[in-house]
Amino acid sequence: MNGRTISRSQLAALVDDLVGSGVGVVAPVRAPDGRLDYRPVARLEEAVLDGGLPRLSLKSLFLPPTEPLFSFRKSGPDVAIDSVPTTFPPRLVLGAVPCDAAGVAALDKVMGWDYRDELWFGRREATTIVSVACGKGDASCFCGATGNGPAGTRGADLLLLPLDDGFAVEVVTPKGEALLSAHAGRFGEPPNEADVARRRAGLLEGRVEPVGSLAPVTAWLGGHFDDPVWDGIALRCHGCGACASVCPTCHCFDIVDEPEGVTRGTRRRNWDTCQTARFTLHASGHNPRSVQDARYRQRVLHKFSIYPERFGELLCTGCGRCSRACPGGMDLPDVLGAIAARAAAPAGGAA
Amino acid sequence: MNLYEPYRVKIAGLVDETPDTRTFRLEFLDPEVARTFDFKTGQFGEYSAFGAGECTFCIASSPTRRGYIECSFKTVGKATTALRDLNVGDTMGFRGPYGNHFPLERMEGSSLVFIAGGIGLAPVRSVIWNALDLRDRFKDVTIVYGARSVSDLVYKRELEEWAARADVRLHQTVDPGGETPDWAGEVGFVPTIVEKSAPSATNAYAIVCGPPIMIKFTLPVLKKLGFADDRIYTTLENRMKCGIGKCGRCNIGPVYVCKDGPVFTAEELAKLPPEF
Ligand SMILES: Cc1cc2nc3c(=O)[nH]c(=O)nc-3n(C[C@H](O)[C@H](O)[C@H](O)COP(=O)(O)OP(=O)(O)OC[C@H]3O[C@@H](n4cnc5c(N)ncnc54)[C@H](O)[C@@H]3O)c2cc1C
Ligand code: SF4
Ligand code: SF4
Ligand code: FES
Repeated sequence: MNGRTISRSQLAALVDDLVGSGVGVVAPVRAPDGRLDYRPVARLEEAVLDGGLPRLSLKSLFLPPTEPLFSFRKSGPDVAIDSVPTTFPPRLVLGAVPCDAAGVAALDKVMGWDYRDELWFGRREATTIVSVACGKGDASCFCGATGNGPAGTRGADLLLLPLDDGFAVEVVTPKGEALLSAHAGRFGEPPNEADVARRRAGLLEGRVEPVGSLAPVTAWLGGHFDDPVWDGIALRCHGCGACASVCPTCHCFDIVDEPEGVTRGTRRRNWDTCQTARFTLHASGHNPRSVQDARYRQRVLHKFSIYPERFGELLCTGCGRCSRACPGGMDLPDVLGAIAARAAAPAGGAA
Repeated sequence: MNLYEPYRVKIAGLVDETPDTRTFRLEFLDPEVARTFDFKTGQFGEYSAFGAGECTFCIASSPTRRGYIECSFKTVGKATTALRDLNVGDTMGFRGPYGNHFPLERMEGSSLVFIAGGIGLAPVRSVIWNALDLRDRFKDVTIVYGARSVSDLVYKRELEEWAARADVRLHQTVDPGGETPDWAGEVGFVPTIVEKSAPSATNAYAIVCGPPIMIKFTLPVLKKLGFADDRIYTTLENRMKCGIGKCGRCNIGPVYVCKDGPVFTAEELAKLPPEF
């Protein structure tokens, strides 16, 4: 760790400083049903740091489930357009689970690919992400297999590693450095390196992930679009899209006009999912992905082949949310395991 | 202003091509945009009727004709129906130009064979006028155009214009049963007419747009005539929303039709998974 330390009381004071200066602080908060949600907090005591994975990821902080793109007003043959702001108030996410921060970084690539999505990057620029290393993975987690790991820094500006009192602080980005130097007095001496290394290793101790290395899977997927492994792969899938909605990296959206009376309206961007039949349906009735197997294959290929081919990393953080949410019992690690077995079969699963 | 905010355009003219297909001429309201707007033939845009939403059409006019763009569309659903309800003088939205284009610059010095079916003539028309406006840069120009019936032929006035030109060879056809008593063109499906008219493949490029079934049966004919797969161009129409590689709707395996397309060679198409 290249960094510093911060005690719990100093962290509480830092949150007070930030909230006092108008920064919105968002952190995991315990909901009445006992699960965690990322929510605005006024004080550190409301937050649960290192409590495990919140129900939903950070995605909606940057790509809301529905958001206005602009409004319009018609009068006779004329139309006026009212823009929406593309700058946003400053915000700090405290206690991001590392895989959720990684999900945000994965979507930066999509949103910045040639065309820069101002609404996404407006929120990104206004937000500092402070991750807390995760010691609470469950049986559905596979962040190790995806290469992120419970102390991964992808997408984080600062990474906190829990110590006995407080945290070791790793500076990841200039934005993280800026936060640290603006509040330098709150941070203490660098941590004991050996202690940090021991605790870091401890995060993975005793953890068994539901799927092994994904390298053979990604290598195999590209050339096997028509492989029999896909036949019947989605028999249990309802096509409901719950997996996409809870996924930190699923970003498909629709663009829809919502009229408000006759002369006014708003064009909105709404979350969508490739798991429904209407997603690719043409006016002629032709549907390029006419069966659920093809739609489920699209989800797997996008995450483990299509995006990696273009951007050099996976579009899956290994958070396991899709498995936990699925009403049909579809389990992504299971599917990846089946593909890995197929890839390892004699003749590379060519038969 | 953000990426998804369209330019406002005024409908400057409209032509009813067929009972269900209409062409709009569109002028940009912002004089600065009107002056600087540029595109390449084959590119597309997102056109919108405010209140009904956006839909994807190619730019059917040629980039050599400046100051306006044209689109031709078939009424099939929500947005296209709302567009059809608009009139000359009304304001609509346009985002674009998006996607790649027909590499006309690479085709200079060659013969061009245009093959289109139905409303597939819209993207091809843009290339045809682009080439005809630079006529001395190309050798022979052949057009094979067909529709289900005489009333389904689009751009009828322009077909007459091309038929009258000495430097264009035009073969018009309608499907068997679609002819009228005074129909002077061919009767038969487009691939058959391509085979019959047998345009030379020597130093030539083919540009083919139309219903998938027409493309499917035209490609083998072109192959037989000697056209190499990398000299046959077509466009794909996977459903789109954003047009700029973000919404995840248009991909065919690793290829995003909105960014890597919509123009592909037959060689590129053959390598794609069959999801179009
Ligand atoms: C690159 C490209 C170029 C195109 N060029 C033209 C053109 O020049 N002229 C033209 O008439 N049409 C063109 N299309 C098709 C056109 O986009 C659709 O017909 C149109 O979007 C339907 O809109 P709608 O709101 O009226 O239909 P909706 O009410 O949205 O839907 C009606 C039906 O149309 C389907 N649909 C929606 N979008 C598309 C689409 N993009 N392709 C096929 N089916 C769709 C829906 O799934 C639904 O089944 C093009 C499509 C693409 C992708
Ligand atoms: S995999 Fe599960 S959650 Fe996803 S669409 Fe199918 S049934 Fe719904
Ligand atoms: S695909 Fe599943 S495991 Fe991977 S990031 Fe999305 S929800 Fe998490
Ligand atoms: S149309 Fe949105 S990604 Fe291609």
